[in-house]
Amino acid sequence: MDARLIVKPNLCIGCRTCELACAFAHSENGKPGRSRIYPLDGGFKEMWTPVVCLQCEEAACVKSCLVNALRRNPDTGAIELHQDICVKCGACEAACPFGCTLHDTQHDKYVKCDLCKGDPVCAHFCPTKALVYEPIKVAKARKAG
Amino acid sequence: MTINGKICKAEEGEMLLAVIRRQGIDIPALCDHGAVEPFGACRLCMVEITKESWDGWKKHVTSCLYPVEEGLIVQTHTDKVIELRKTVLDLQLARCPGSPEIQQLAAEYGITQTSFEETIDSDNCILCGLCTRICEEMGFAAISTIGRGHLKEVGPPLKEPPPDCVGCLACAQNCPTHVIPYEDEGIYRTIWDKKFERIQCSKCGKLGITKDFAEALIKMRGLGEDYFDICDECRRKETALTMGRISQWEREVVE
Repeated sequence: MDARLIVKPNLCIGCRTCELACAFAHSENGKPGRSRIYPLDGGFKEMWTPVVCLQCEEAACVKSCLVNALRRNPDTGAIELHQDICVKCGACEAACPFGCTLHDTQHDKYVKCDLCKGDPVCAHFCPTKALVYEPIKVAKARKAG
Repeated sequence: MTINGKICKAEEGEMLLAVIRRQGIDIPALCDHGAVEPFGACRLCMVEITKESWDGWKKHVTSCLYPVEEGLIVQTHTDKVIELRKTVLDLQLARCPGSPEIQQLAAEYGITQTSFEETIDSDNCILCGLCTRICEEMGFAAISTIGRGHLKEVGPPLKEPPPDCVGCLACAQNCPTHVIPYEDEGIYRTIWDKKFERIQCSKCGKLGITKDFAEALIKMRGLGEDYFDICDECRRKETALTMGRISQWEREVVE
């Protein structure tokens, strides 16, 4: 759990490639899933924000789940929604303060970012490196130097 | 252990059904759900088991309730097992003649018409109790099975609007035959004859969970009172603006 998905709104051009990559990475039976990442207007000139799950330390979604279907994966640090346990009550979607748990109406299930099991596809496809998945040490060193 | 001639590994305490599913073998199971303990109500996940030391003896068990053992030899689609499943489906079709899910499953096993007498005015419920078990697991236990024998049915206590129900729809969403009726009309939701008011996003007016459910979550899990005011879409927009402001500040400072 030493890597993070880093989001830099300064670099985002709002091309929505990450959204496409996410939807196709989570497709089922040939149908793309609902994207877990949403590039939205950041409110300033040339400013877009890819809104994606922050993997909160004390997450509201985990707290709100009455059947404990949301659990943190110790390897990636991502909170994963276990579909076989989920009872589709919609509590996590309503509780997330950042709006990052979504209802996939196409497949009728609740979804959230799981960091693609430790290799986020969105970061691979981002053309401007607004999304980077890197070890925390590297990120800190880059910021300091 | 061996499943259909293939050697596979399993963890101590796991149930057979989980291992069979992991192998990609498709066997029907209607009352099974990851959130609750196995129950063995629908009897469709029957398999044949034996061991080398059993001297040719075989047993038929519900795989959802049978814990794995070393050296177990499992067959999921023998003639006898299919015959058992057919009988169960025949009986279920007699009880639920109007259920598309049961009809489809029975048709897969070659049954289009039940050989028993069809139930008249059937509620199409297979009485697996998944709804009641999920409701109990969530901590509400608003509904239960009532009566015994052929009078058994699922419902709230005394068949009155259940006081503990919060209208989360978990029972209706997970019903294997989708027979629990509910109605969403405007901002109101009716289930088990109880009327609920749904939370409306204070910004865009999108409808969310019921007020009772939100109150229950706040009380049970200690969430903030203002957690349920606005919908997920407006929340995302707010998050984008907040992160945008931080980045703008960073931009100005760097420049």
